[in-house]
Amino acid sequence: MKAAIRHLKRNRRRTILTLLAVLIPVYFLVFMFGFTNAVISDMFETATRIDTGHLQVRHVEKRGMGSALPLMQNADEAVAVLDEVDGIEWRTVRLDLPALASAEDRSQTVYVQGVVPEEVAPISNIGNLVVEGSYLRTGSSGAVIGEELAELLNVGVDDEFVVLGAHPETGVGVLRLQVIGIYEAPLAEMGRTVVHVTLETARQLARSPQAATAVVARVSGVTGARDLSEIDDVMSQLEGRFGSELEVLDWRDLAPQVSGYLAVLTPALTIIAVIFFGLGALVVLNTLYLSVMERTRELGLVISLGASRWHVIRMILVEASLIAVAGAIYGALIGVVLIWIVEAFGGIPMPASVGDFMRVVGMKPALHMMIQWPQVILSAVAMTIVAIVAAWFPAYRASKLEPVEAMKYVE
Amino acid sequence: MSNNALIQTVDLKKTYVTEALETPALRGVSVELHKGEFTAVAGPSGSGKSTLLHLLGGLDRPTDGDILLEGQAMSQLSKDQLAKLRLTNIGFVFQAYNLIPVLTVLENTAFVLELQGVAKAERISRAQKVLAELGIAEYADQYPNRISGGQQQRVAVARAVVAEPSIVLADEPTANLDTAMSMDLIDLMKRLNSDQDATFFFATHDSRLLDRVKRLITLVDGKVADDVIR
Repeated sequence: MKAAIRHLKRNRRRTILTLLAVLIPVYFLVFMFGFTNAVISDMFETATRIDTGHLQVRHVEKRGMGSALPLMQNADEAVAVLDEVDGIEWRTVRLDLPALASAEDRSQTVYVQGVVPEEVAPISNIGNLVVEGSYLRTGSSGAVIGEELAELLNVGVDDEFVVLGAHPETGVGVLRLQVIGIYEAPLAEMGRTVVHVTLETARQLARSPQAATAVVARVSGVTGARDLSEIDDVMSQLEGRFGSELEVLDWRDLAPQVSGYLAVLTPALTIIAVIFFGLGALVVLNTLYLSVMERTRELGLVISLGASRWHVIRMILVEASLIAVAGAIYGALIGVVLIWIVEAFGGIPMPASVGDFMRVVGMKPALHMMIQWPQVILSAVAMTIVAIVAAWFPAYRASKLEPVEAMKYVE
Repeated sequence: MSNNALIQTVDLKKTYVTEALETPALRGVSVELHKGEFTAVAGPSGSGKSTLLHLLGGLDRPTDGDILLEGQAMSQLSKDQLAKLRLTNIGFVFQAYNLIPVLTVLENTAFVLELQGVAKAERISRAQKVLAELGIAEYADQYPNRISGGQQQRVAVARAVVAEPSIVLADEPTANLDTAMSMDLIDLMKRLNSDQDATFFFATHDSRLLDRVKRLITLVDGKVADDVIR
């Protein structure tokens, strides 16, 4: 060990090069995973907090409904079933209706989303996104709309607009709504098309006092988009509990674009990681091989003195292991520290055009990063192993040196 | 083979083959070396001195013939067994590049003991003792590049004898040393031979060393031309 450290110190340039070959892939992967974790988390949280929840109980699909969701009249029974199941953290009844919003000569097709304000408040951040006016309260008869819709209809807080609901099951309903709040939507599409009202207001529009389109629920203990075990557990508990009219959908069915991104991202990240590990391994192999070549006479001497092949292999592998472990630790540390620095400054702000695009796909308009320690450890350990495996070839070649030939070797 | 022969070569032949060219280095050498001898093999360049030394040390394999080390036929040994034999039975002193540059004098001396698996405390103690006997204890913590060529060769001798091998093989040990250093090294090896009955076998054409050996084998064209005990 002592000799290995001295060898590494003696060939500083080569040691630094080998160290960088391990350090850079680990640092890059930690940084890349940090970014993608934040993206996935952002998309997942946006989708599941504001829109889909982790799961929904809905009426099974019906023919001829167009873009409307079928109505359920037995939402209270579904709520009662959810309340009996272990793992449900939160649930609320919602009524989504397709409608046409109009103000003077302007109109826009929208979804009127009826919610129970005090029930959605703990998990929805719409209230925090209100930039003008206020969010819904129990008994509010007005609407909260996105900045995009307010601009399209040319309305502001306290202005009125008309919504014309046209659900295939209940027919046409009309309401005049006052804008009580305008919010900055995390999704541009959402800001343009969703009108938030109380459940009572939506039921008035549907002309059906018991109507709902979904019971939205969140499952406790879910840490992110990749953590499906808790949701799967609740889903299995709910199997067969709602008869033939109702069905349970989880977020993967309700937000297919997010699960689609995840499905693409995971293999893409794996391929990138493999490429980086491969490049790192090649540099490690090359530098250690050159090191063995340079030390041919010394290794020949060691073999002449009676060192076994395993001893020679071990000499090279100990050096490789020292570099690999140090490179992996430094790489992980640099990656983690950089992520902390980025987050301490509130992320990397994106230009307006990129920010708008990020909002469209459900992300915050800044580059954020999130550390997941198992990924950091896995990246470091995997690169360490790859580097040590790469060192096997030069180590093996060293062990095969013929002592007489090796000692004649001229650099 | 005589009963007390430490090493016996039996019609030893070695031919180097390079592409289409065959170069015979040894053409049938049969010699016996005995414990406590202080022997040199001499001869002109290309006579096969170094080849004989390499074969005796198990660093290379003969084309034909065999070597018996304490009765054990070296041709029967695998590469790993030969390595073990070198480790336990043979001490080497080479002409140059004798020491491991990243190890101190003490660590270089103790290196063979480390390979043998001797406990750290014991190998340090034994190495220190040998260094003291050879008068280089003061350099124990120095790296090879901090001491002179003569001192480096002394360290090489210390490493060669520290594990008390059956024989020390030395290939041109004085070739890179000036006269004073050469005489000093020869005196040292002679003292080890007489005091500790250490067996030395040199390949050399250094007359200063040849004058001091007890037995001189002369090789010419890969054959023993003369074998004189003085």
